[in-house]
Parts: sequence; structure tokens; C-alpha cells
Amino acid sequence: METLDIALPKMAFLYGLCLLPGLMLWLIGLRINRDIGISILRMSIQLTLVGIYLKTLFNLNNPYLNGLWILMMLVVADLSILRRAGLKARYFALATFTAITFSILFSTAYLVILVIQPTHFYDARYIVPLAGMILGNCLQGNVIALERFYSAIRKNEDEYATFLTLGATRWEAVRPYFRDAIKAAINPTIASMGTMGLVSLPGMMTGQILGGSEPWLAVKYQIAIMLCIFTSTTIASIINLKLSLNIAFNAFDVLKDEVVQEP
Amino acid sequence: MPALIRFDQVSVTAHNKTILSDVSFSLFPGEHAVLCGKSGSGKSSVLKTLLGLNTVSSGTVYFQETPLTPSSVQSIRSCAAYIGQEPMLGAESVREALLLPFQYKTHHDHRPTEAQLIEVLDRLQLPTAILSRASSRISGGEKQRVALARGLLLGKQLYLLDEVTSALDAESKRAVLDVFSDPQLTVLSVAHDPEWMGHCGIIFELEAGQLIQVKRNGNP
Repeated sequence: METLDIALPKMAFLYGLCLLPGLMLWLIGLRINRDIGISILRMSIQLTLVGIYLKTLFNLNNPYLNGLWILMMLVVADLSILRRAGLKARYFALATFTAITFSILFSTAYLVILVIQPTHFYDARYIVPLAGMILGNCLQGNVIALERFYSAIRKNEDEYATFLTLGATRWEAVRPYFRDAIKAAINPTIASMGTMGLVSLPGMMTGQILGGSEPWLAVKYQIAIMLCIFTSTTIASIINLKLSLNIAFNAFDVLKDEVVQEP
Repeated sequence: MPALIRFDQVSVTAHNKTILSDVSFSLFPGEHAVLCGKSGSGKSSVLKTLLGLNTVSSGTVYFQETPLTPSSVQSIRSCAAYIGQEPMLGAESVREALLLPFQYKTHHDHRPTEAQLIEVLDRLQLPTAILSRASSRISGGEKQRVALARGLLLGKQLYLLDEVTSALDAESKRAVLDVFSDPQLTVLSVAHDPEWMGHCGIIFELEAGQLIQVKRNGNP
């Protein structure tokens, strides 16, 4: 069963759909059509480039090229996590990279090599979208973990100092904030697993069904990807935060000012 | 007798601003000292520097004649109780707050008994019923006394007190002063309160991060 193609003229026709919300926004006096136009244009260009890139990647299906693509995604994710968490990449880039690389490779390898078992484990059709999806979610979790943790330490500076002066080691003093941050990082994944299928059809499943897969197969892949997202987010945020502790604090266990970005 | 605390030409800079400049003084076991001066003169910074919470840019802080270093900071932190104006109790209920430090490895084996808890509360004129109250629901003065009780339970000998009497009524203040009449305890405090200052044998006067005057028993 093939998915029906959308021919170019029909694609152009599709953009016409946005004229109605555009008109309505204009009528209520919300002049944001320029921003919307730019966003739609960016989406179109970016996805076209990804399309070209993925097509090449799939055609060549070269293990090194696939590996390079994953490496590039990891580097971009690394920098994006730190920027969004308000931490300086100069100090934390290696720690975050180590954490996400380990967790992504572990969960993707587990899924692809041990469970799906394609003819070639490096098959771009499997590892590129699966690693990408796991990484995308893992990124969110790591941003939340780092951001929560370091803003809690700064906001509760006095409380943290009190723990230290009550005889806590650095690890004992940060532990309450550490646990809260990890909980906040994995909560969205837990909540989304708990309501999956009730609130909306998950994106990957929808995609697979449109792509012609049996609903059963789509369900199995959806479960697989959710378990991998949960695993990698948890592992990555714990390792990431733990590694960052050695970088962010001075020898007296006080948070260094220079490691966080000025707001 | 060796000094318990000694600042030797200590300067502290943070965010390119000088907080303490060339401060030198000694405090011996059992002495009670008060740091006074205008706000921003560096009084609280002396306490924080002693606890290793500020980075010393020059000079040396000694505790029991040992220079303060990352490896020795734990010893001052375990001997000193720091109590601020609005102390952080760091737990949901008062009982949990009092027992909090005993979760840490250093104090794990010294968990107080119920009788010890009650006795220390009594000493500070706090009712036993306060144990089950939420930390967020008690007044500033009660928080200070709970923090003080925690220090006493830990058997701390050195008390770093930042404006503790400001939130206390006369009766509670008396209870706090009584506790510190114990000659075993050494006190380094920050205060404006004349009654408190009257109980301290040593007055250190700070201005713009510099120690400008030391009075011992009223004499400069």
C-alpha cells in the first residue's frame, strides 16, 4: 500500500489553506502575518534541505556517513541544550556531549541491534529517524534538568549554604535540588506515556500508518520509541547533571559565577 | 592559648567589587564578639568568608590555626553554626528541620533522642508542639531559635550569628542570651542591638570592608 503523493501544484494549493487564518488574524487586528510568513518559509526551506539530505543518506546508506550524521546531531543537540539551559558551553560541552552520546547510543543500539535487527545495523532508514526522535526528546529533558537544577541552586543559595554548614558534603547538599530537577526532566515523558493514545495519536504512529504500515506494527514501534525515549532521557539527565557538578562548583562547594550565562 | 579564628590580612573580591580589604583579627575560644558598622560594610561577609562561601583574594583565614583550604573547610563547617536573620530550615516540618543534619554522613551516628529534642526546645523557650508545625508557618524569631536549637543539638561550639536578635521579643531574647552565657561557646555575631552588643566583650567596627576599630571590654 503506497502513500498517495502530493504533486507540486497541489502543494502550492496547500499553502492557500493559511490564507483563512491569515485573514482572520488581520481582521482581529493582530498584525503578525509577516512573522507567520517567515516561519512558513523557513519551515519549507529547512525541510526541503533535510529531504534532500535524507534522500542522499538513504541512497548511499554508508555506515560512516550515517555515523557522521548522528555525530552532527549530537553536537548540535549538545550546544542547544547548554544554550537553552543558560550554561556556558565552554565549561559544560564535553560533559553534556558525553551524557547524551552514551544514552543515545545505548538506547538506539539496544532497539536497533537487539530488537529490530535489520540486515545492516547501520541502515539509515532505521537508525537516522529513531536516533533523531530519541535525541529530540532527550534534549528537552536535559534542558529541563540543567536549567531547573542550576536555577534552584542560585535561587536557594542561602538554603544550599545552610546544608553545607550543617555538615553536608557537596553531594548531600545538592541532592534535594538534583532529585527535583531529574523529576522535572522525566515527568513529561512519564505523563505522555500515561496518556498515550487517549489524548491524541502519537506522531510516529500517525506517520507510520500514513506510510502504509499495519496499525499493529505502528503500535509496536510507538511503544519501542517511548521506552527508548524514557530510558535515554533518564540516563542522560542523571549522567549530565552528575558530571556537571564537578565543573560548576569550586573546591569550597560554592557555585562558580562564571559558568552560568548572564541573563 | 591558640586563637579559634584568625583573619590575617584577608581581602575578598566578588564581581570586581572589594568586599573585605586587609582585615586582620583574632578570636579566642569562649569569646563573644560583635561586628558592627553600616549596611554594606562587610559584616556578614566576614561570617561567610569564614565558612568558605566567599573566595579569598589575598591573605589567609585560620581556623584552629589551620589555614582554610578546600580540604579543611569541612572542619569549620562542622564546628560552626551559622544562623541568619531569616534562617533556612531546609525541611517541611520543624522536627524534620531539627533532624536534617543527622541524615548527613558526618552526624549520622549522633541522632538525638526525643528527650534531647524537648530539652533543647525548652532551653530556648519553644513549646514542644512546635515540632509538628510546618517550617513555613512559624515566625522569624521562632525560626532563629529552631536554627539555634539545631546548632545546640549538633554540639556546635562556634556560633556565627547574623542579626539574630532583631526578630526576637524580650523574653525570647533573654533565652538566647542565657544560652550564650555558657563560657564553652564562642560567638561571632553581626548586630545593631545595643543590649546584644553590651553582652559581647569584643566589638569589631567595619567601614567599607575595612576593620577600623577593635574594642575589647569597652577599651579601644
